[in-house]
Order: sequence, then structure tokens, then C-alpha cells
Amino acid sequence: MHKNRVLIISFALLLMLAFVGSTIFAADPGFVDGRFTKTRKITVEIYDRSNPGGSPPEDNFYTDFIKKGLLEDHNIEVEFIPVPRWTEDEAINNLLAAGDAPDIAVTYSYPTIQAYANMGGVTDLAPYLEEYKTYLPDLWNLLGDTNIYYNRDPEEGTIWAIEAILFQNKRINTFVREDWLNKLGLDEPTTLEEFENMLRAFRDNAELLLGKDADKMVPYTTSFDVGWRNDHLITSFIPEDFSERDAYVYGFDDRHLLFPNYKEGVRKLNEWYNEGLIWQDFALYGAGDQTEDNMLKAGYVGAFMHNWDYPYRDGQEGIHANLKKLVGEDAAYIAVEPFKNDAGIYRKYLSAPVDRKIFFPSTNTEPLASLLYLNWVSKLENRSFLQIGEEGVSHAIQESGAVQALPVTGEKIMNSPQNIDYTITINGLDLGDPTLNSRSVALNYSGVDSRFIEKAYNITSNEARYGQNIQVGEIESEQGMGTVLSEKRNNLLVQSIVAKPNSFDSVWDRAFQDYLRSGGQAIINERAKKYDDSY
Amino acid sequence: MQQVLSHGRNRKRAVINYLSKYWTLYLMLSIPITYFIIFRYIPMTYIQIAFKKYSIIQNPWQMPWAKNNGFEYFIRAFSNRDFLYALRNTVMLNLLDLIIGFPAPIILALLLNELTFKRFKRFTQSVAYMPHFLSWIIISGLAKQLLAPSTGLVNIALNKLGFASIPFLTKPGHWVATYVFLGIWKNVGWNTIIYLAALTNINPELYEASAIDGAGRFQNIRYITLPGLRPTIVTLLILSLGHILGSEFDRPFALSNSLVSGVSNVISIFVYQYGVRGLQFSLTTAVGLFQSVISVFFLLGANAFAKKFGERGIW
Repeated sequence: MHKNRVLIISFALLLMLAFVGSTIFAADPGFVDGRFTKTRKITVEIYDRSNPGGSPPEDNFYTDFIKKGLLEDHNIEVEFIPVPRWTEDEAINNLLAAGDAPDIAVTYSYPTIQAYANMGGVTDLAPYLEEYKTYLPDLWNLLGDTNIYYNRDPEEGTIWAIEAILFQNKRINTFVREDWLNKLGLDEPTTLEEFENMLRAFRDNAELLLGKDADKMVPYTTSFDVGWRNDHLITSFIPEDFSERDAYVYGFDDRHLLFPNYKEGVRKLNEWYNEGLIWQDFALYGAGDQTEDNMLKAGYVGAFMHNWDYPYRDGQEGIHANLKKLVGEDAAYIAVEPFKNDAGIYRKYLSAPVDRKIFFPSTNTEPLASLLYLNWVSKLENRSFLQIGEEGVSHAIQESGAVQALPVTGEKIMNSPQNIDYTITINGLDLGDPTLNSRSVALNYSGVDSRFIEKAYNITSNEARYGQNIQVGEIESEQGMGTVLSEKRNNLLVQSIVAKPNSFDSVWDRAFQDYLRSGGQAIINERAKKYDDSY
Repeated sequence: MQQVLSHGRNRKRAVINYLSKYWTLYLMLSIPITYFIIFRYIPMTYIQIAFKKYSIIQNPWQMPWAKNNGFEYFIRAFSNRDFLYALRNTVMLNLLDLIIGFPAPIILALLLNELTFKRFKRFTQSVAYMPHFLSWIIISGLAKQLLAPSTGLVNIALNKLGFASIPFLTKPGHWVATYVFLGIWKNVGWNTIIYLAALTNINPELYEASAIDGAGRFQNIRYITLPGLRPTIVTLLILSLGHILGSEFDRPFALSNSLVSGVSNVISIFVYQYGVRGLQFSLTTAVGLFQSVISVFFLLGANAFAKKFGERGIW
């Protein structure tokens, strides 16, 4: 008994000492000349894309570079926590709920951050950004006030997340098989009608184009994510005359589902599907499934829409390289621009230049070290090394100064284009000089002729309309509804496309009503009200 | 007084004797009990989340009560159409599984029991067990390879024979049939094990006697085998009735797609959508609690019913 008491008292004393000690440290953070006197440890989220031939995302040549740099420059030890790219929402939710979230967390979903912030699970960055601003010159240089204060609450002044910069604001493109056009003597389509006729020509000439594999012909593919994968077609049905207010109020679905006349674009896809122009099995395969990519690589597909540089990604493992290997030297996808809106403009709807949202969970006990990390990866020399790698290994410098990517395999391979997963504050190549940038982007896809890239690069944001930063505070009805509504949207779009033409309207109307009733309408109403109150 | 004391002493001694004899058994029992306490009972404190406003940083004792005397989230669940559909789908799929899937292993066990060539019987049994060890993710991959409308092997074969493709996975009605069929395919062999074990307990003299009486195969099955299996069948039936509102996650999730979401969204998928992905943990805990309570009622009801009809029940 007596022994126990002694133990308890000494334990309590120890605790008190520790407490006193920590308060002393808090007064003096041990931070001298931009360096911690004692090594601090932080954890950082990193996307795991599990791509073929890739390296472990949390432990490779580039993570070593970052770890070494931060230890040397700031005495910060970094550990990377891999999170699957295609299910990042769920994964980060689980980590947050379990209290295991990395100190620096990244997601594309702001409502997720807002939901956790409301529960007290996210650190308010505003005071830290203010206090430590002098230590963060590179972060400010790169992101500017726009992206750093992008999510500042107009009333409370809180900042739950800062926005990475979308340096090349590029979204998607329409790709068609250039060699098939040549074989059939067709020009690149410049109107919807030409595009449709091209698809029909692909379908009707399967024998000529695919020989013994004629039955595998797919004129056009899409995936369960209809809104992303057909955006240029569908949004060409949206009237040009469309106010900024409406763009905000109806803009919470990032696939543009609620924009006026969207239904008519989907109706077009429904016609194509029923005409046998669209891959009949597209609805079966979920996120991250490789079936469609394999069809693209094998050369069975005539046209599709996807991320602006999709077929040119992944070097020797990518679609472009595989087409050349499996089909022939001249086989290639080329970006085209066939979809005009009612004003005759090839309108593209792009977001404001924001990308991933970076936030610190409230379990983060090292806000300064974490901000220094962001500053470090935002520094031009660091991020450009991450983007282009080692000279002679990952890139060569041409006479003009432009940087050309070289094919890499083995330990120095990049798991994402330009290592975007590591440069969490920027998405898109930036070497510090605009002309150098555009020249280099075109050369940044090893093994792909730069004419393909230049064309895709120009078309994807040609005649774009950019989203505006509207700060009206939190929209409460959005909380927890993001993924539910996205799922409903995907189901609605897939079911409408596959419906028989005469039941298209009833399928669409029923599912669309369900979407509105399940929370969509509440969001529209709240957004409209808050917008009208603020502007 | 003396007597009482000695009686108490005797009892004490008896307990000590008993324990010194059997303490190893209790030691072994302590392992599962610890397991249940740590992994089953302590987590139950989190059931409170169903009645409280969930917060990631507070423990459940600190969270504030939800509105409507704590029943806010139950009210919300029952006014949520997605939940009602999920409830309907769960009951529908589980009932079909029960009606079609429950008798299947009994029939297979009877068939296997009738096989006289031992080696063939064992081989068939082993082959029938195999699918049990595949995960639903693998089975859904196989199903897509075989049953996809234009690239599935089965449909290619049908097309070559001049028939139209069957939308096994893409039309709701067909999907339900495929779902039930794949469930049987996966588990029928495994579930026969318990019936085959029960069959070995039937007294062989009964068969010898019936042979003398000139009974045929079907009469043997009807009057000897099935009655011999009855207690096992009833026990398993009670247990499966307890699962009528339970829902697997991986099976419907892996087999589902956008076209059949109207019938494939079951309660577990609702919980995943709204809870794990949508962070509405209170709502989904309420749903989970509702599910468990109903399941317990089904279990109790089925057990009472069985006892009423002269069976032993499960306790």
C-alpha cells in the first residue's frame, strides 16, 4: 500500500514536471534562424496510385530527397503516410476518425474538411499563417493571397485549408484515333455532327480497322463517371448566357449536373448508346478498374474523353506507348475540339485555379514544422527538382533551355506526372519562366511526339470560362452529402444513358427528382440565399 | 451455528476442490471471454453515438444529446428514402437467400449421401467446397469476365449460338437472380459439411430395417434421413432467421454497379455511403442499432416458434 502511494506521488510529480517542461518549451519553440534546435517529427499524406512499375510512394528516391532536405534545412524529420488515390475520401475519413491522420493532410473534397472542422477535428490555420508568415516566403510566392485565403470564412476569419495552385488549369480533352481517321480518309471532326458521323464510320468499318478483332470494335468509351468523362460534349449543350450567380448556386456538383440543359447532352449519349456507338459494358466497371485502359491500349477504341493528357501519361506503361507497341507506329490518339455551344463557342467550364486542399488535423502538434514543410516544397528549386528529376536521368535540357522528360524505370521513376503527389502545393509544371514552361510541358511526356501534347494543351482550356471564388461562408446543407450526391449523380447518368430512348425522359426525371429531394434542392436553396445576402 | 459454519466450510471446500480439478478449463475459457469483453462489449459504449451528436474529438460520454430526446437520428433514418429502399432490398435479398439458398445444401447433402462410389463422393465434396474460400472481390471479377453483356464468355457463347445477350449483371431482375445464384455457388458446398456430419449420426440399423421392409430410396430419404436431420435443420434455420436484417457488405458492394443500385443498395452499403464516406456517423450508428435490435427479435421469435413445435431450439 505504502509502496503504491509512493509510486503514485512520484508519477504525479513526473507528470507535473513534464507539463512545466512543455510550457517552457512552448514559450521558446527552440526555433533559431529557421531551424529547430531539436528534431521535430511530422507525418505527411501521400497518394498511392499503385501504378504498374511504380515505386513505393512512401519510400523512394524523391521521398529521400524531401526527407534529407527538411532535415538539413529545418531539422524536421518527415514520414510519409500512403493513402490510396482512388479512394482517398474514404481513407482519409477513416484516418481522421481514428485520430491517425497525418499532420499534413490533402484531399480534393472541401466538404470533408468542413465536416471535420465542425467537429473540431481541424486546425484553424489563420493564426499560424499570420504568426509565421515571415518564415513562409516561398509558400506566399507560389500561392499568393488568393489561394492561401481562398477558404477564409467571411465572418469568423477561420481558414481550415489552403488551396494548392492549379498551375496549368487543364481539365479534360476529347481524343480520337488519328490513324483511323487517316485510314478512312476523314478529317478531324470540328462539329458534333462530324463527330457522330466519325463514330458511325468507325462502327461500320470495323473489319477494315480491326481485321479479325472486328467484333471488339468500340467507337466510343466512357466510364461510370459519366459527368467527368463526357463533359465537353454535355456542357456544349449549356447555353452561353448563364449568370455568375447561377454558376455558383448550381455549381456545387463539379460535374456540372445542375447547369441548364445538361439533360440534352445526356440525351445525346443515350442516342449513341442505343445506336451501338458506346461501349456496351461501361456501367459494370468501377473506379480504378483497368478494363477500359486495356481496351484503349489494345487499340479497340475509336474515341473517348478523359483527363487532358490521359493517353500520353505513364511513359512506357502508358496508352500511347502501348498502342505503338501493339498496333503500329502510326497508331495514336489526338485531341480534337468538336463541341460548340449555342453561341458557336467551344466553351469549357474550368474551376478557379485551385487544386488540392491542404489541411492540418487537430491532432497536428507541429503547426510551424508543418508550415515549413509546405514552404520547403513550394520553393522553386525544390519543387522543380521534384517535377523534372535529375538531369540526364529523368530529363535532358535542350538548346532552347526547354526541359525534355526522359523515360525512367526503376527507383527514379515518378509515380505521378511531374510528381504532383509530392509537390502538394502545385499541380502543373513550373520552372519559373512562362515560355520555358509551355515549351517544356510539351516535352514532358517521354516517348510522345510534342505535337500531340501541344495540341491537347491548347485545346483543353481554349475558350474556357473559369469559376470564381465566392466566399459566403459555410453551406450547412452540403455537410456529409458530397459523396452521397455524387453517387446518386453517377447512377442517374449511367441509368439515363443505358435507358431505351423512349424511356429516357422518365428515367432521368425520376432520378433527378430523387437527387433534388435527397439534399440537392436544400443546397441550391441555401446557396441562393447566402449568395443574395452577400452580393 | 456449528452446523451452518461447517456447512459453509464444506461448500467452500467443494468449490476449491472443483476449481483445483477444473481450473485449466476456466483458464481456457478466459481467453474467449476476454476477447468478447474487449472487442464486443467495450465497443458497445459507442452505441451512444446513435443518440448523440457525433464529434470526432470527444469521447461518447462527452458528446451532447441529439434532438428529440436523442431520437433525432432514428427519425432522420426513417424519413430518408435511401434508407427505406436499403431496408427493403436487405429484406428482399436475404429472404431470397433464405428461401432458395437454405434448402440447397440440404439437397446437395442428400445427393452426396446417396453416392456409393466413395472416391467420387469425396472429390465432388472437395470441388463443391472450393468457392467458399474465394473472396467476393474475386468472384465479382469472375462474374464480370463470364457474364458481362458484350465481353463476358457466357454471353459470347450465347451470341455465337444465335441468342441475344442476357443482362445478368445490368438489369435489376436478372441481377437479383445472379446475386442469389452466386451466393449459392459460393456457399452450398461448405454448408453441406454440417449436414453430412449430422447424417453420420443416423443409426444405420434404421436403413437396414427399411431395406428389409422393401423401402426405396425416396422413402428412405423421406422417413429416415430427413427426420434425422430435422434438429440440425431447425437450428440452422433459427440462426439464419437471425440474419434476415443483417447485411453483408462485400457481396452486394462488389457485385453492384450503377444500373442496379435500385436493388443492390442494402443497409451495409447505406452505412458505408452515409457513414464512412459521408461522415454521418450518428445516423449510421442509429441504423446499425435498429438492425441489431430487429435481428435479436427475429432470433428470439424463431427460437420460441421452434420450441412450440417440439424442437429444442438453440438454448
